[in-house]
Amino acid sequence: MATADAGVIVAAPRPRFRLRLRLREWLNREEVLGPLFVTPALLLLLVLVAYPFCMAVYFSLSDAFIGRPSQFIGIRNFVNLWESDAFRQTFQNAFVFTSIAIAFKLVLGITLALLLNQQLWFKRWIRGAVLLPWVIPTALSTLGWWWMFNSLYSVVNWTGIALELMDPPGPNWLGQKYYAMTAVIVVNIWRGLPFFAITILAGLMAIPKELYEAAEADGAGPVRRFWYITLPLLKPVLGIVILFSTIFTFSEFNIVYVLTNGGPINSTHLFATLARQVGLETGRIGEGAAISLYLFPVLMFVVWAQLKSVRKEVL
Amino acid sequence: MNKISRRRFLITTGGLAGILASGIPPARGQQREISYLCWNNFAPASDKKLAAIGQRFTKDTGIKIRIDHIAHPQQAAKYASEVQTQAGHDLVEMRMHFPWLYEPQLVDLSDLVKELEKKHGPALSSARETAMVKGVWRAVPQYRTFFVACYREDLFKKAGLKIPDTWEDLYTAGKELKKMGHPVGIPIAQNYDTISTAGPVLWSLGGKEVEKDGKTVAIGGPQTVEMVEWYKKMYRDCMEPEVLSWTDASNNDSLVAGKAGWIHNPVSAYLTARNRKMETAAGINHHRSLAGPNGQRHETDVPRHIGIWKFSKNIEPAKEWIRYLLGRREVYDEYVMSGDAFNLPAYTSLVDHPVLKTDPKFAALRQEGVQFHCYGWPAPASDKIQLITNSFILPNMIAKAVTGTSTKEAIAWGANEMKRILAG
Repeated sequence: MATADAGVIVAAPRPRFRLRLRLREWLNREEVLGPLFVTPALLLLLVLVAYPFCMAVYFSLSDAFIGRPSQFIGIRNFVNLWESDAFRQTFQNAFVFTSIAIAFKLVLGITLALLLNQQLWFKRWIRGAVLLPWVIPTALSTLGWWWMFNSLYSVVNWTGIALELMDPPGPNWLGQKYYAMTAVIVVNIWRGLPFFAITILAGLMAIPKELYEAAEADGAGPVRRFWYITLPLLKPVLGIVILFSTIFTFSEFNIVYVLTNGGPINSTHLFATLARQVGLETGRIGEGAAISLYLFPVLMFVVWAQLKSVRKEVL
Repeated sequence: MNKISRRRFLITTGGLAGILASGIPPARGQQREISYLCWNNFAPASDKKLAAIGQRFTKDTGIKIRIDHIAHPQQAAKYASEVQTQAGHDLVEMRMHFPWLYEPQLVDLSDLVKELEKKHGPALSSARETAMVKGVWRAVPQYRTFFVACYREDLFKKAGLKIPDTWEDLYTAGKELKKMGHPVGIPIAQNYDTISTAGPVLWSLGGKEVEKDGKTVAIGGPQTVEMVEWYKKMYRDCMEPEVLSWTDASNNDSLVAGKAGWIHNPVSAYLTARNRKMETAAGINHHRSLAGPNGQRHETDVPRHIGIWKFSKNIEPAKEWIRYLLGRREVYDEYVMSGDAFNLPAYTSLVDHPVLKTDPKFAALRQEGVQFHCYGWPAPASDKIQLITNSFILPNMIAKAVTGTSTKEAIAWGANEMKRILAG
């Protein structure tokens, strides 16, 4: 028991209580609590992202073969890959596939978002339904598309022929290179469109109504309102959506694997499907990792440039 | 609640610490349990039979067995992850050249194969070529599935067509079949069935992809030109462009659905039609594999084996399972019979198996005078040969030629791709 100067007797805290008090004080400090909260997420990132990424980088610089000791070979895998016709074709496919798919997803996504932003009956139901392609497991929905494009049972061709839009037997969707590329792009657009539409819709809803009212009062028509109000204010959202979609589309796997397995004549192979073929099915994981990482510097640059431009827009 | 004495607490925790440190459970707690990963067999009845045999095995030996199945396209990825993590199943089903790919990770099973060969005769050459790696059996031959000619006997009879004996005869019959609306169905796509047909056509013409040394590309000779030209006229006159988009199952579907008049496939197409009581089943039959101009008949064989991972902690019980399934004649027979001639024995003394007498349409499966090989023959199996196969170079070379690229250019492309892989 202690006596204070004013003669009031103050109870000294018990040792256990004192420890708890000190711990609380320590945790109240921002420089302690902040890192403590971030640590679990950091650990997860280290284990689930950084470690596999570092392993992939190491594999790509080695002659790693499944279950065998590997040696460091520098960038030989990257150089050798460029000599492969299949790889060069894949490289070209990836850019064609990504650019066309993103262009369509962007235009259709904005259109759909503008439609969903209108006063519609069953608005909630429609918004929910729009998300369906994005929610259904890709492999499952792509199997449905495969059946629709299948040469023997193609419902697309059957309908086209019935409506006299096509001459029998109709296009060989998965057997000719341009049709096959069209098919995989169509399915990718179908699947990726909800992501664009819903994110852009959120951006649209955040635009103050007063701006439109003022523009309308000044005599601006729908096109001018879209061009001078909607589009500039949507730019940061569009930047983020395009950024994410570029990464997802470049690394697409399921759609191509299920629909064409990279064929015909490698004309629909993407980095992920070719990496699987070389790395897992043949066991050459060094080469497979190099295929996966080939575009890493390009994608890093895209991320940097996009984020920089978005930050500029926001500021 | 019972009171725990200090002494009992110390004994229990000390014991637990010992088990955790050594990783060996006490004898009383040691449950002999093995796990076996295999594919979803195209003859599903044999998977059911395998499960039933597994239950009997547990009853007879006291060893528990867990049998898992995955689709065959997923096998390579699954095996790669098991090998990289050094964890997973004890036993794995291995198709064709898998033992070569995973050689350092597989237990030497030569003693076991010797036992089986004493009982059933030497393993078939295709099984030996693929499961024996550098003189060591890395997997035990389990069964084989081979390709054969499957055709619509009713259509052939109706049109008065002669059953083909050579690939050239097939062209003659194929032209008529296409006119009848029942084209020949040979896939020319990025799938394994395409290689399973292109290989025998090339071999029967005296050609090959890679020389026996495994280092020299053999594509490019006159036999390759002959093969490509044969494919071009077949595609033009006997088939439809849909074959360019086919998967491994498409030719089966086409025959069973009543469209194709002739396909090159294992017996599974007929089994599907028969077991599902489809209209086409009565009209489907098989004939011997086709010959080249010199009368040589070569055919694709798909042997399957059972391997044991080196990281397995249950190697002996795993061997027990192989002995039980393949070493007991009555069990092996029962298993083979359940596969309806899709899973045929992989040992010479059992080639003329009773399963071939269960249906008159299996008569052609005796395949007299036919030589069986695996992909890449005569080159020895290796990761490079596997990459040539998995990169679908032969199918793409043919696809290029039939869709407009000149024969010379298409062959040069194929030869270059193979050279690049072999040099890498």
